Amino acid sequence: MTVTAARNINVSQATAEGLRLEMEADASVLVIGEDVAAQGGVFGSTRGLLKAFGPGRVLDTPISEMAFTGMAVGLAMEGYRPVVEIMFVDFIGVCLEQVYNAIAKIPYMSGGRVPMPVVIKTAGGSIGAAAQHSQTLWGLFAHLPGLRVVAPSNPYDSKGMIAAAVRSDDPVVFIEHKGLLLQRAADFAFGAAVPKECYDVPLDRAAVVRPGADLTLVTLSGSVRHAVAAAAAAADRGVDVEVVDLRSVVPIDWETVCGSAARTRRLLVVDEDYLGFGLSGELITGVVERLGLGALDHVARHGTPDVPVPAALSLEREIVPGADSILAAVLRAAGGTR
Amino acid sequence: MDLSTGRRDDWERRYRLMSLMRRFEEACLEGVASGEIHGELHTAIGQEAIAAALAEHLLPGDALTSTHRNHLHAIAKGVPLVPLLAEIFEKETGLCGGHGGHMHVFSPEDRFSATGIVGASLPVALGHAYAARLEGRDAVAVAVIGDGAVNTGGFAEAMNMAGVLRLGLVVVIENNEWAISVPFSASSATPTLAERAPAYGAVGERVDGLDIDEVSAALGRAVGRARTGGGPAVVEAMCYRFRGHYEGDLDLYRDGAEKARRIAEKDPLRLAEQALDAAGLVTSERLAELAASADEEIRAALAAVRAAAQPDPRTARDHVFASGLVPANAVREETTA
Repeated sequence: MTVTAARNINVSQATAEGLRLEMEADASVLVIGEDVAAQGGVFGSTRGLLKAFGPGRVLDTPISEMAFTGMAVGLAMEGYRPVVEIMFVDFIGVCLEQVYNAIAKIPYMSGGRVPMPVVIKTAGGSIGAAAQHSQTLWGLFAHLPGLRVVAPSNPYDSKGMIAAAVRSDDPVVFIEHKGLLLQRAADFAFGAAVPKECYDVPLDRAAVVRPGADLTLVTLSGSVRHAVAAAAAAADRGVDVEVVDLRSVVPIDWETVCGSAARTRRLLVVDEDYLGFGLSGELITGVVERLGLGALDHVARHGTPDVPVPAALSLEREIVPGADSILAAVLRAAGGTR
Repeated sequence: MDLSTGRRDDWERRYRLMSLMRRFEEACLEGVASGEIHGELHTAIGQEAIAAALAEHLLPGDALTSTHRNHLHAIAKGVPLVPLLAEIFEKETGLCGGHGGHMHVFSPEDRFSATGIVGASLPVALGHAYAARLEGRDAVAVAVIGDGAVNTGGFAEAMNMAGVLRLGLVVVIENNEWAISVPFSASSATPTLAERAPAYGAVGERVDGLDIDEVSAALGRAVGRARTGGGPAVVEAMCYRFRGHYEGDLDLYRDGAEKARRIAEKDPLRLAEQALDAAGLVTSERLAELAASADEEIRAALAAVRAAAQPDPRTARDHVFASGLVPANAVREETTA
């Protein structure tokens, strides 16, 4: 990969650029959703597509998620690759039926005869928007068989992963983080260089964002930058943290996760999604199943407790993992030995 | 019914198709009784005239999205009988290798799909109609739903989108008067469902769903309009569900005497037989021949299906992902076994 120039674009522009290149390369790619055309998405991650491809391929819909998500099912049956934008992941309830009963199950129910190359592109994450606009919900999608679930953490991955999601013959739930979308590339300590060219980031490979020897911190999406900041602070306290950006929840890159955990023998999972019955439990159990109980000295998890996300920032900061709380969790997990 | 003599061949074909549909579902009933079919099975016995009328208007490029009560619609769309019956019997030779079952029948070649979720077939049809629009094809998308589905949010959303985009969507409502145990009179704010169509910029008409001629004429108008860019249409076909909601439904919510009377007096097959015989258009002997030929075809299909194997258990984890990605825990179980 040659990086042509350092461009200080923001994450939403990187996503829009990835979508544009895929739409140029493949006429069967469509974008459907609320405010995706004239507005270019409420965060700008479909900006410019209407002008480039016209209203047939970039369709502004009524507020009718059940109808336009189901429409993507029919379009996929007709050979298209629809990208459906659900503005906020919190709204998935009104069309979840089409997502998990149709999109996720039809490839299986049809005995492999009807693929569903649909991307459900949506935004999650806590940025002070209260209980109905702050969830991440990747654990919900991951629980339902048949969906790939990914969440990029930086501008380079956002562009490359949306490209891979569009090209995927499997349905992909692509969860952007609202707290990242308007961040500029220069604000990132990792994945800041975004080539202009077309490229893709594989959907099933985690990235070691920061190598370290003492503890494996596995996280994803908006929490990665907090984890990197916490790791830097921990280094000052003598704890060398390896930060793994999972990138994909389904499938989990067990090779990278287990390889790291086997070396450090300490595993901490940081998850902005609800803690209970979710990614953190799955990761820890999966690592133990693969490496055996004796391979680890310590496991821990730090996530959003099972309460709705509150409105007041002072309350949100109390429950949603941030750099400070992650540092505390790291020091607890490294505990005793230092 | 139009019983003009010039249409004798048409009527013979219609009658045979309706007989075939009846026998097909009776074969399914046999499968339930023998324990060969498991889970819910929903038949459309008594609703054959609507499906047979659909067969007269659908072209290969048209899409048909159906419901949990979908067998007759699949036949109407040209889905081959033996793989269809084999899927319902959960056999290896089924359309979907036994992964779908009777509620989830997919035949991409025939542009046919179904869902077990009430109202969920409507938005899917919207996608087929939009594809035809993008490609400048004059294909239509037909969504068949029951009267219960009209009260779902998906109906309002899909109808509005079809109306605003002027898509070639034809919604066929099989109003069999019952949404499981709740009568139509207790579930609809409007006396008919067809009258809701204008609210979405669509045309709507209600017809006698037991009269294949009347249904076919209405479908001809609706499909023709949709095919020529006239936008969405609703055809509400009145019928009556002969069986319970599913096989095994005790059906205690309906009055037994009333049900028996309706079935005796309003069977679309018997109505056609009586009319054709009385008009002297097709003799009762010829009708019996046609019915016997349909019976023979279904007997042969049933024998082929019964001879087929159950799916290989090793295929249970196949097809979750088109890419071949295997769920992690499936791999794990296999490696530790």
